[in-house]
Amino acid sequence: MIEIRDLKKCYGERTVLDLPELTVGDGEALAFAGPNGSGKTTLLRLLAELLKSSGGTVKKPDKALYMPQQSYAFKGDLVRNITVTGCEKSEAKRLLEKLELSHLAEKKAASLSGGELQRLSLCRVLSVPCELLLLDEPTSACDAKGAALVIEAIKAYQKETGCTVLMSTHSPVLAAKAADRLIILNGGRIEADGEPKRILMNPENEWAEHFIAGWKI
Amino acid sequence: MESFQQAFDLLISLDKELLQIIGVTLRMSFFSTTISCLLGLPLGALIGTRSFRGKSFLKKLIHTLMGLPPVVAGLFVYVLFTHYGPFGSLNLLFTVKVMVIAQVILITPIVIGLSSSFIEGTSKPVIDTARGLGLSKAKTVGLCLSEGRSSLLSVVLSAFGRSIAEVGAVSIVGGNIQWKTRVMTTAIMLETNKGKFSFALALGIILLLIGFAVNALASFIVKEPADD
Repeated sequence: MIEIRDLKKCYGERTVLDLPELTVGDGEALAFAGPNGSGKTTLLRLLAELLKSSGGTVKKPDKALYMPQQSYAFKGDLVRNITVTGCEKSEAKRLLEKLELSHLAEKKAASLSGGELQRLSLCRVLSVPCELLLLDEPTSACDAKGAALVIEAIKAYQKETGCTVLMSTHSPVLAAKAADRLIILNGGRIEADGEPKRILMNPENEWAEHFIAGWKI
Repeated sequence: MESFQQAFDLLISLDKELLQIIGVTLRMSFFSTTISCLLGLPLGALIGTRSFRGKSFLKKLIHTLMGLPPVVAGLFVYVLFTHYGPFGSLNLLFTVKVMVIAQVILITPIVIGLSSSFIEGTSKPVIDTARGLGLSKAKTVGLCLSEGRSSLLSVVLSAFGRSIAEVGAVSIVGGNIQWKTRVMTTAIMLETNKGKFSFALALGIILLLIGFAVNALASFIVKEPADD
């Protein structure tokens, strides 16, 4: 269970996140959507303890993993890029197979395309069991096939570990297919919160409707 | 050309005094570089990765000390270790040990300044990725070192380059004593003062060759894959 109360993040006078209350149940898959600067990444980085909040409280599971939006390629081949987490080589190869990267296993990670690197980054994070998985735009660099593989892998991992998944996205497909719940953020505040298909079909307010109309285009 | 010939002749003749000077130079540079890196790299890592009050002032101070004139450092150490100085009883003045101390004062700010800038600029994504994966601090530091090994090598080689080429501080505290504290740079200075320009140039060429050999060896040890 994640319980957020009065969570704020400010940079000087500017408030980038202001969440009076948010509760996420165990095993839930929650997607955050919103325009640039709406606070999606800030929220995930606060939960990953990579940022310090300006106020409020967060109760969350201890074992949390975070995949940043900008994937990093460690020196060396793809297998080494996954085994830095301490997992076995066989597990790394299984994940590469799952994300259709096994044919590149011996290549240097620095030579991968953006989409391939993002899938490798997901392999790395999925090689460690956790209670809370935080994914920052996990399909932003992927093509349609790559995005489908990512969604499938996230769902399989969640089924296997029973973890809670929080992800930010600009993709209605990811929100609808991988999440049980969709929250739309605007200026660090919640504009809409509910079942993804319902929000996408019937937004709660004018701003959310306008934002989703932009997505549909 | 005469200088190149003389440098070559000096090297193949295995001149005892030259070998002794090269030995003192390498010993001094090795110890001053090693001590400076042992002190400077962890401090650079701390400054590069932490936010704290006074960090900006500390960085300005380090950047100022990076340009510390060697003669000032030499004078400072001389005052400390002279017979009537606070450490005079140690009898270290005009020894290689005190030359190393003077060089550590000169080089450590360079190591701190360069390594903190490197770590601040390039290790953030490594740290974010490692912390996101829940890796231990020790493992995160290990990954930062492994990922930045070529940059760190540049820091170490800059420190070594500063040490081997330094003349002001070592001549004040070492005294350029034959068979004892004479190093390549002070020998070059002496030969120039004597008007033996060709011989001084030959020594300079040998100094450059030593620098090149150390750089090549270090690059070979910390080998980067070609396609990285």
